[in-house]
Amino acid sequence: MVLRLAWRNAWRNARRTGVVVAAVSIGIAGALLTMALNYGMIFQMVETAIESDLGHLQIHAAGFDANPELSVRLPDGARAEVARLEVEGGVRAFARRVRGEGLVSSPRASAGVRVVAVEPEREARITRIVDSITAGSYLDGDARRVLLGAELARRLEVGVGDKVVLSVQDLSGELTGEALRVGGVFETPSAALDESTLFLRLSEGQALFGLGDAVSEVVAVAHRRSRVGELRDRLAAELGDAAEVRSWEELQPALVYMIDVFDQTSWLIYAAVFVAMAFGIANVLLMTVYERTREIGIMRAIGFGRGRLVATLLAEALVVTSVGLALGFALALGCIAGLGDGLDLSYFARGLGKFGVGSRIVPVLRPSDFTIPVGVAVVTAVLAAAWPAWRAVRLRPAEAVRQT
Amino acid sequence: MTGTVVLEARGVSKVYETRGVETRALNGVDLRIREGEFTALSGPSGSGKTTLLNLFGALDEPSGGEVRLDGESLAELDAAALSRLRLHKLGFVFQAYNLIPVLTATENVEFVMVLQGVPAAERRARAGELLREVGLEGLGDKRPLEMSGGQQQRVAVARAIASRPRVVLADEPTANLDSETAGRLLDLMGRLNAEHGVTFLFSTHDPLVMQRARRNVRLRDGHVAADEERPVA
Repeated sequence: MVLRLAWRNAWRNARRTGVVVAAVSIGIAGALLTMALNYGMIFQMVETAIESDLGHLQIHAAGFDANPELSVRLPDGARAEVARLEVEGGVRAFARRVRGEGLVSSPRASAGVRVVAVEPEREARITRIVDSITAGSYLDGDARRVLLGAELARRLEVGVGDKVVLSVQDLSGELTGEALRVGGVFETPSAALDESTLFLRLSEGQALFGLGDAVSEVVAVAHRRSRVGELRDRLAAELGDAAEVRSWEELQPALVYMIDVFDQTSWLIYAAVFVAMAFGIANVLLMTVYERTREIGIMRAIGFGRGRLVATLLAEALVVTSVGLALGFALALGCIAGLGDGLDLSYFARGLGKFGVGSRIVPVLRPSDFTIPVGVAVVTAVLAAAWPAWRAVRLRPAEAVRQT
Repeated sequence: MTGTVVLEARGVSKVYETRGVETRALNGVDLRIREGEFTALSGPSGSGKTTLLNLFGALDEPSGGEVRLDGESLAELDAAALSRLRLHKLGFVFQAYNLIPVLTATENVEFVMVLQGVPAAERRARAGELLREVGLEGLGDKRPLEMSGGQQQRVAVARAIASRPRVVLADEPTANLDSETAGRLLDLMGRLNAEHGVTFLFSTHDPLVMQRARRNVRLRDGHVAADEERPVA
């Protein structure tokens, strides 16, 4: 009876209720769409970072955190770490790398670069560099070939097949260099990667840096990102003090910080939407109480208790909120479906690339984008109904029935 | 006057205060309403009819004296208990706009039974029976705005007796009806009183109601000026 009354009462003044429902649904849809695009951007940043460099976790020699130098290395081809990863069920793929700094020169220019020496086949299962090749080929052809980021290649004014000289300081501190050819050019959503990274084969990197069979790191990806924390703890426990195992969150705390900031901001957006919604609902219910004073008096007279009266008004607020939420969700999902393969922000592509974001933002909705608005909306509806309900229960039946 | 006393006012007074000005609506009223009576409270405007009816209906509290229902003092009951008492022991018919507009006639009659916790099948059957009783068979699905004033008052009567109350309190029930419709409504209430023993207490200005009532209590200046019983014909 309470629900039936609430539903029918809510639509007694369909225009007024409709205005509030429209406000709620547009507010929710706007908030949801903003969340989805923002999170889509952050999701892309995280994915780009993981898929172009970080992996889910990395293993370094002890002391690398404090002193990320060439000298802090995993000896013997990281045999102990590789052996452990090969039997670890949670690991989907892993690869070894040598990582250092260098200067790459062409006949026309030179640039400081991050030198990353990789195992091509294994690396292809970790990062998506292989899919980002825009010219030439990946590191699966001739020896002494390097991959350059598109922006780096442009700055050096080189293309596929051109010769470059890579100069580095080796493990013993000696300056050494190697003439190499550009085997391929890659372009990723990450401007940082494209501007200053050079890939070459692991064996060539080890030789160049004088590392012997040592490597700088082993990078791994898990079957499930949600299990990375457990996997890191397990590997850290089994590899002992000789190695440092770090998850992508620990390697790039700025990303985690950005996600946190985003989550905090989302609460602010929801708060703004729901505060506005609360006033709309409270207004409708207050008008309801004023307009239906006599009716409320009669209901109270014939035995409709205060509890039921409050429940009816709360239910009325929840009806308005629920319809607004449902329409808002539908509107947001419709807009997201309409965006198809994402929102084209190519005008801002260069700026977005600095943050590891491509020019096309695909909205991403998380379960919490539905559960949080529902939870907050219920609380808001209850709070919005509280004042009108308080007024309603304070009405004295004898006076209320005399109202016209 | 014999029979079980259902309602009783003992030295009841009521004072309203508006912006510091006191108005004495009732001044030491003593009145007993017995089971099965068909009583009209009459008197000029401001004589205290509606005030007394509200006090009997546990809708308001007296400033002095005591109101008792079935021997129980209403002053001893809290708001929730008073609400339960109104639900189970009292039926109300008001002057107009008695019904809940968003509910159909059947739902309006069922309303109090829902509050009483009567099972759905039973209350649906009883509502249908009551609507037949008040001559509204076939109009159960109509909402109040789709019915005439007389029909609405009949639904209100059906609702008032649906809870099987000890007494039905009717505040000017014929005030907004033409004399023919008012006559039919009074016929109906008279029949319910005679056939089912439902106790009715009216506040009224309407000579027709006073004429039909078997007991006429006349109020003047907040006290009982006359109390006359008319022998059953």
